[in-house]
Amino acid sequence: MSKFKIFFFISLLFVHFSLLWAEPYVDATLLEKITKKYNFFAKKRFLYLQKSLDAVKNKSDIKKLEKVNSFFNKVKYSPDMKIYGKPDYWATPWEFLGRDRGDCEDYVISKYFALLYLKVDAKKLFFTYVRSSKFKEAHMVLTYFETPRSEPLVLDNNNFKVLKASQRKDLTPIYHFNGESLYRVETGKEIKNQKSHKKFDELKLKMKRKKI
Amino acid sequence: MTLFKQIAFMLSIFLLIFLATVLTLNFKSANNSVQERLYEDAKNSATSLSLSLGSANGDISIMTTMINANFDSGNYRRIVLKDVDEALIYDRELQRDTIDVPSWFLELVNIEAPVASANVSSGWNQVGILSVQSDDSYAYKQLYTILIDLLISSSIIFIIGLIVLNLLLVAILKPLKGVQKQAEAIIRNEFIIQQSIPSTVEFKDVVLGMNNMVSKVKAMLAKASQELKYQKELEYIDKVTGLKNRKYLIDKLPEYLKVDAASKGGINMMISISGMIEANEQIGHKEVDKLLLSMANIFDAHATNYENSIVSRMNGTEFSILLPDCLEKDGLILAKNIYNSCQKITKGFELDASLTYISLGLYEYNYKDSIGELLSQSDNALTQAKFSDIKIYLAKAQTTVDVMGKDAWRELIKDAVKDKHISFAPYKVVDAKRKKIVHNILSINLKIDKETIYYYGQFMAPANQAGLSSKIYDNVLDMMFKTPDISLKNLVCSLRLPYDYLVEEGTFDKMHKLFFTHAKALPFRLIVEVPDKFMHQNSIIVKNYKALFDKYNIDMGVFEFIGESVDYQYLQEFRPVYIKAQGDFFLTQSNQALVALRLITDTMGISLIASGVMQMDMLKRLLDKDINIVQGKVSEMIKLL
Repeated sequence: MSKFKIFFFISLLFVHFSLLWAEPYVDATLLEKITKKYNFFAKKRFLYLQKSLDAVKNKSDIKKLEKVNSFFNKVKYSPDMKIYGKPDYWATPWEFLGRDRGDCEDYVISKYFALLYLKVDAKKLFFTYVRSSKFKEAHMVLTYFETPRSEPLVLDNNNFKVLKASQRKDLTPIYHFNGESLYRVETGKEIKNQKSHKKFDELKLKMKRKKI
Repeated sequence: MTLFKQIAFMLSIFLLIFLATVLTLNFKSANNSVQERLYEDAKNSATSLSLSLGSANGDISIMTTMINANFDSGNYRRIVLKDVDEALIYDRELQRDTIDVPSWFLELVNIEAPVASANVSSGWNQVGILSVQSDDSYAYKQLYTILIDLLISSSIIFIIGLIVLNLLLVAILKPLKGVQKQAEAIIRNEFIIQQSIPSTVEFKDVVLGMNNMVSKVKAMLAKASQELKYQKELEYIDKVTGLKNRKYLIDKLPEYLKVDAASKGGINMMISISGMIEANEQIGHKEVDKLLLSMANIFDAHATNYENSIVSRMNGTEFSILLPDCLEKDGLILAKNIYNSCQKITKGFELDASLTYISLGLYEYNYKDSIGELLSQSDNALTQAKFSDIKIYLAKAQTTVDVMGKDAWRELIKDAVKDKHISFAPYKVVDAKRKKIVHNILSINLKIDKETIYYYGQFMAPANQAGLSSKIYDNVLDMMFKTPDISLKNLVCSLRLPYDYLVEEGTFDKMHKLFFTHAKALPFRLIVEVPDKFMHQNSIIVKNYKALFDKYNIDMGVFEFIGESVDYQYLQEFRPVYIKAQGDFFLTQSNQALVALRLITDTMGISLIASGVMQMDMLKRLLDKDINIVQGKVSEMIKLL
């Protein structure tokens, strides 16, 4: 066996093991806590999520969007007041999948962080406040902009398909928001630990504290 | 620096650091909250403006109009709108006016108003990012006001803190003040017992320890005082009759035989009892002793009419009665009365009056006599009395003719006092061991003109007789304090004040006024010498003088000391800087008496000074007795270092 072949083989082994040892979406400790707090089925859901995410890890953004959207849309819809006793609560992905229920913002949050885990560029993802003509109420969807000027794709908990914005006549966009793409006016440098959006900042804090 | 000051300083520094830290943290916190507020305002504005801009459907002219309207109506420093490619669409910035805060504050505090951003979208499309920065001039003003308020409140807290700290320290260290006072008293040779025992353990131990030590010193002094008293009784008192003895008379006589003596003369009566051997044989020793005691009582009773009289037993059969200011006629009457009384007593003891009788020799002495002259003249008179029929004989002193008559002296002294012709002549008091001047005695002269000077010994007796001595001393003190002699600057000087002047009404008040106005300016350290007779009265007047002298840093010395006192507590109470006694007094003291005296004086820090030391031989004997400080002729003979 030539030296080149040995090197190639070792490289393949390294890639294989690095994939095996890649950081999971939910680490073992947190998963243990989730299991303790919710139940065995919650653990199962997270393991299934990990499996689903691993399946599209090396796929295109569109595949990732579709997989994430379809996975989370299986979670039951339930208003915040019913789950948390509060009119508007942004749940962490662990609370959302742990309880296996949530409202529109919770779907958007979970999809957003799952896509970030799948290395989708955060600048392409927006939390979009919309009005749903179908339900005649305020609603939130996750939008994906391939480029800043391109037509966005909509990830909605009421629709298992990821559609272009122009195909969603039932939604009227009101406001896009991306918490990760704020720049200092003078310098153009990204601001670390800077506030961007009240609710989003609270959510990030909860995520940091591993709120389940 | 005292412990109180050190602790106060340390705690003040601590308080200052603490307050400065609190102030700094408060100010930083205020700064952060102001910046937070600026961001929140900017964020709210950015969000609401970005929502409004969404309705412009990407029309730049409408968006810039909206931004202008917002900018002009609000407190913004800058509003920037960039498109999705980071290209500038519109930028509006405030041209800053002068901020109404001091320039040092602007240099000290750097407020960087945070920039808040919001996404701007139109329908599903992104328009760009809107960045808003609030105007920080209001924040500067607000922070400046906060800083001033913090400084004022911190200063008030600091002042209140210092006051509270001071009160607390005073309360906590109060026992220490007591300890300090006690320690200072010990340094001044005062021995006080602290009554209030502090509760703080360490202070309590110190106070109890010091009290214990002071108690022991006091007990030691009391013992020494008792011992001295006992020795003095042994030395001065005749056991059989309870009268004073020959030694006492000799030690006491210098007080009577001096130019400024209170009395110019009188009668010294020498009494001899004849037939004592026969009496002993006839009635026995015990009865003879009773007879002697009865006679002594008679002598004592007759002498009491004369102030400062001394009745003493000179030897087994001879007695002396010194009667100051007693006239010749009165002396003879007194002698007759004593003779008759003694005759009766002799008969009472069933003795033969022709065998057992007394003879009385009267000598009319005056202040110029020496002790030797007085005693030998008295003995002569007694010898004459023994040979006379009436057993009484009066011998007169040879009258010396004065250079000037009484009236002439009176006029001369009056004029000298009026024209202020009084001057000082300093005489050295020397420590013969260390060969150093201890202090200077200020003697008084009357300097009439360049060539005519009358010394103290010359004019003081006539001045006394003319009743002008107090006037002279008033003038002396006036001159000493009002026109101090600069040649005496930085020296230690003593001024002797006689008993009569000290006890005279008005003297204390005069001195008090004089000290109050002039004592601070006195260029030399003054020691006022008072006679032991005045000191051991231990009366209110002595206490007042002591307090007055202490108040104006004037020391007190004692002269004419012979140790005749019922106790020596007065030495502890008044703590004179020195005790002066005749050189002979020290030489004739028993070792026990001198040791007891030394124990008191050394403990109290009182020096012993021998006065009237005229010869080197006497000085040598004094040095052998550890009496090193002397005055008299020898002080001029000692070679000083």
